[in-house]
Amino acid sequence: MNKLPRKSVAGLEDWMCRSLFEQVPFNVAIIDRDYNIVSANSNFSEYFGPWKGKKCYKVYKNLSQPCLGCDARLTFEDGQPRLSDESGVDQHGKEAHYVVHIAPLTKRKGGAVKYIVEMSRDVVETKNWQMEYQLLFERVPCYITVIDRNYTIIRANENFRKNFGDVVGRKCFEVYKKRKTKCPNCPAARTFRDGQVHRSQQTGIKKGGEKAHYVLTTSPLGRQTDQIAHVIEMSTDITDVKKLEKEVIEAERLSAVGQTVAGLAHSIKNILMGLEGGMYIMGRGLEANDREKLDQGWDMLERNFNKTTSLVRDFLSFAKGKMPELEIVDPNELVEEIIGLYKTVAAEHGVNLRADLDTKVSAVPLDPKGVHTCLTNLVSNAIDACEMSDSKTGEVCISTSDKNGVLSFIVSDDGTGMDSDIKKKVFTTFFTTKGGKGTGLGLLTTRKIVKEHGGKISVRSKTGTGTTFRISFPKSRLNMLYREEKSENELETQVRERP
Amino acid sequence: MTKSEKKTVLIVDDEEDVRQYLSMALTDAGFEVVMATNGKEALDKVKEQQPDLISLDLVMPKGSGVRFYRELQKNKEWAKIPVLIVTGHARDDVGKSDLKELTMSGAGIYLEKPVKPKSYISGIKQLLGMDTTDEEAEEADKIKIQNDLKNMIDEADPEILKKLQKLMKDQNK
Repeated sequence: MNKLPRKSVAGLEDWMCRSLFEQVPFNVAIIDRDYNIVSANSNFSEYFGPWKGKKCYKVYKNLSQPCLGCDARLTFEDGQPRLSDESGVDQHGKEAHYVVHIAPLTKRKGGAVKYIVEMSRDVVETKNWQMEYQLLFERVPCYITVIDRNYTIIRANENFRKNFGDVVGRKCFEVYKKRKTKCPNCPAARTFRDGQVHRSQQTGIKKGGEKAHYVLTTSPLGRQTDQIAHVIEMSTDITDVKKLEKEVIEAERLSAVGQTVAGLAHSIKNILMGLEGGMYIMGRGLEANDREKLDQGWDMLERNFNKTTSLVRDFLSFAKGKMPELEIVDPNELVEEIIGLYKTVAAEHGVNLRADLDTKVSAVPLDPKGVHTCLTNLVSNAIDACEMSDSKTGEVCISTSDKNGVLSFIVSDDGTGMDSDIKKKVFTTFFTTKGGKGTGLGLLTTRKIVKEHGGKISVRSKTGTGTTFRISFPKSRLNMLYREEKSENELETQVRERP
Repeated sequence: MTKSEKKTVLIVDDEEDVRQYLSMALTDAGFEVVMATNGKEALDKVKEQQPDLISLDLVMPKGSGVRFYRELQKNKEWAKIPVLIVTGHARDDVGKSDLKELTMSGAGIYLEKPVKPKSYISGIKQLLGMDTTDEEAEEADKIKIQNDLKNMIDEADPEILKKLQKLMKDQNK
């Protein structure tokens, strides 16, 4: 390390200038009015190579005459500092990108500029990053837009422009969804408000008018969370996934149709068996002129005709393939309704039907008719199970609960219970253990409705102890379905209204 | 046991109508009848009095037909009792595997609901090795052929079946 010279103040200043000149992390060169490089630091020599006795344009850019629009020239004239982005060649002849600060050197303020100092810094790395970023922004297989607080799109990547048209300067809701006003539940608005990242599933309309399904992530542009000026919207197109999903559902539906037809055949076979039996017994009664047998046979025929009716009714309700029609309803009220309907019937069978309602349960979007069907199926099953059990009396309880964002309906009985063989088959088409009484469609219909709500149905049972069915609906899923259903309806209207 | 003695058949079916019907058909044909509504009850009946034959439904609450059958096989004496399966689930997913287990392990023959009284009685007589009338023998043959045909068609290649169908149509022209 250099020892500090103690000669004079001027000496100290001189030493500092020299030292600074050498040590600043810039390529520094001093140039006179004739473009001669009169001095330069070692960083400069390392970057641009030998400079002594050379013109600046030769060293910076390997040119034989001054650059067009030379910034140094301007500073010589007006004494103003300048900053510019330049490209040249380094000492190895390789393309160099650098930023140059040009500052005038004058004896006194406002005096003539005899020299200028040029401090440049390599930006090849930064340039590369910029290019990479640019490439990433443009080519990434998502749609990316940047919007300002007025929902105006200020940037959009290639993929987005290809699918939604040239959109910069237009409103995002106009472009994404062909709306005239801001979307309800806009996730970007939420990000502007709380500075957080939000994710949601959306359906939009592409420039060709076809629907696009995408998962949208909105995040604030910049680090500060208050007063966010811009939000970046990134979406992944899941239209193909949705299409595949539909195809899978369709395939499943077809295979279910096959199973259903087989099951239907079975139910009809059972009814035919009853009719066959009724006819046989009546025939014997006629032969023997036996009134009792005639009555017995007639009853059997009648029962089996009635079975046909209930089979057709259940079958039609199962075959109804529709999306749930969601309304905001109070789950506890639904249960009260069922209790009212079944109280007397249950009592007639020696069953005490009661409710155990959680007061924390609040109104949610549900298809009231669908859930009604589910609960009546489960309750009538439970009453039957009590009746089939060896004990004379029974109890069926419907309870509700709301825990960890999951709404549950629980129907439990202390009836006959099921063994593992039967438990495995309860959700099979036309499977019944109720002899002639059941059609084997109740639980299946129930499960179908529950699944359409995005819920789950589970069963716990022990022979001789009883059975508990639990239907659980994640509330977030219900709310999402509700929103989707609403926005889907809106979108349908817009698609229809488009010229 | 002499020939004149009445044979006992245990009917196991959860459906009241089916029990009534089959028991009347059996009584009319000169059999003694015992009935059970499920596998568990059937086992009790077998313990009480061993039947000569069991007419068994497959899918029932409180102990399915297969479970009951497995229980029977555990007892040397009971395992010898011939079993006639009367089911509506012969060809669907609910009953197929059960039926396979039973017929493969030698339970005998099965009848698919709905069952005609004649085929039922002749099936039972055949399993018991009893004399049958000509009519009944014919019926029993018919059942056998029908069952064989059903199985063959179930296992056949659908393409070949289509070709056969076409051939038959062409012949009729």
